[in-house]
Amino acid sequence: MDPALRRRLEGRLGDRMTGPVRQRHDETEIRIGPADVPEVLRALYDEPDLRFRYLADLAGVDTGTAMQVVYHLWSDTTPDWLRVIADGLDRDAPRVPSITFLWKGAEWMEREAFDMFGIVFEGNRDLRRIYMPPDYRSFPLRKDFFLPDDAARSPGAGIRQMERSHSPRDATSTTLVRRSKAG
Amino acid sequence: MTTRPEAPLPFDIPAHPSNDDPRVTLEEQLGVWEAVPPFPPQTEREAEFYTLRDGEMLINIGPHHPSTHGVLRVVMKINGEQVVDLDPVLGYLHRGVEKIAENADYHQTISHLDPLEYVASLFCEWPAVIAYEKLLDCTVPRRAEYIRVLSGELLRISSHALALGFHALDLGGLTPILYSFIERDEIVEMLAALTGQRMLFNYFRIGGVNGDLNHEFMSRLGDWMSRAVGQVEANMTLLNENEIFVRRNRGLGTMDRETALRMCWSGPNLRATGVPFDLRRAHPYSVYPELDFDIPTREEGDALARFLLRIDEVKQSLRIIDQCLHQMPDGPVMAKLPRLLRPRPGRAFAAIESPRGEYGVYAISDGTDQPFRFRIHDPSFLHLQAFNLLMPGNLIADWMALNASLDPIMGGVDK
Repeated sequence: MDPALRRRLEGRLGDRMTGPVRQRHDETEIRIGPADVPEVLRALYDEPDLRFRYLADLAGVDTGTAMQVVYHLWSDTTPDWLRVIADGLDRDAPRVPSITFLWKGAEWMEREAFDMFGIVFEGNRDLRRIYMPPDYRSFPLRKDFFLPDDAARSPGAGIRQMERSHSPRDATSTTLVRRSKAG
Repeated sequence: MTTRPEAPLPFDIPAHPSNDDPRVTLEEQLGVWEAVPPFPPQTEREAEFYTLRDGEMLINIGPHHPSTHGVLRVVMKINGEQVVDLDPVLGYLHRGVEKIAENADYHQTISHLDPLEYVASLFCEWPAVIAYEKLLDCTVPRRAEYIRVLSGELLRISSHALALGFHALDLGGLTPILYSFIERDEIVEMLAALTGQRMLFNYFRIGGVNGDLNHEFMSRLGDWMSRAVGQVEANMTLLNENEIFVRRNRGLGTMDRETALRMCWSGPNLRATGVPFDLRRAHPYSVYPELDFDIPTREEGDALARFLLRIDEVKQSLRIIDQCLHQMPDGPVMAKLPRLLRPRPGRAFAAIESPRGEYGVYAISDGTDQPFRFRIHDPSFLHLQAFNLLMPGNLIADWMALNASLDPIMGGVDK
């Protein structure tokens, strides 16, 4: 944990954050709205006392109630990983600005998040499927997508929607969705 | 496609019914080959790529091509022998490990990770166990950490030896791969004695490792260490003094350090551009802060620099193994943990330095016995992305050298 980083983040980005800075082990976590992503990441990249120049990871997350895009950043100014969570994307139509203007290498990671969750990254020049075939219709890592041989899960909710429902509009009341308690 | 010229064909195509009909063009007789993709382009970039200008054509390399290191398919737009543009097509090895991991309990997920990076599979297990240990707030015994580093560095040597050998093999040199396999076989046998498996070790456990060092492993290791340095150097003189090999690689696929960072590169490929970024030092994990080793870098950033850098890294790994053997403490190799793990709700990210670069795992726990989200970050995935920058203007045959110098593992790329 790096308390100095927490103070710097609160001082510089306090008005952008939608929650408190959380710190645990060697990780610092901030949450922002999806519209603020380009501005916040640009500030993290450019500010001389932040200097987050290395994008360690870009992941999509489906919490069951909303979509998130999670960025992990590395800087030589702190011993912590910085986790930036763009929170509260609409699960029906998740959209977030692309960060390929900062890290061109994010292009394929954004394609992967689009492929697996259906998150649309505005500004990515090549947003198409990357692992699944181009005519594939659903988004496999969403929580309302079940594996055919998903024996680990209780069938208590009745009929399982497999490879079909990709938004709550298609889901029935019997669709089993695992929702995060982690938030 | 061009239209048929008015002049009659200079040759006969026998036994084709439409051959007599002068209105049937040659293309119709032979069948017109539509350019891939079979589906309408979805993005501007895709539409631009699949539009051919005068003199250009598309060819496929892979997915089953011996030099693609797995099942990578690359659609190349070529003009003559020169590559104009590329479109790597992934997914031929996609197994959905992230989804499988969400439906397995914490211990089971680790065995699903081995086949990702099948050449150096301990490095896939490592970030996952670190992330889980962070979720569980558990401390790993120091002896277990040393064993992890020891086996990891052995595997790094094995992986680099293969990378160097296959680099030569892709350029047509058969001999170096045979010497590389001598080293690799010895290391694989060693690790088989330690872990019980030859390839997919499944050795790291949450809170430690599966078993302590044993006599066979130690005796094999001591035997090998006594001749390893000389052996590695002798093997590599085969290549780095080879005129053809050096000339084909020098200046090929040159990457500058700013672009490499913007492309999210890591590992030897990034260090070959002059950035001394190694997670063992940049974000230390395990017992690496206690070990003394250098981070070799090179300035050129071309295929030859990436090759030579791997040789330097092998020497540093030998140093680390030596120190591990001398500093290895006594004690248990597993922390005391329940059989069924239910971490508190939370999020954890861990990344380690694999032979290819940063291997990361991001795990979310929701309090049940299965991870709620399990994300794998693979370095080769990002290295392949740079083909579009490095390849245009070179010849088709140079792609084999470039691909081998980037050293991708398709199991990890496709997940």
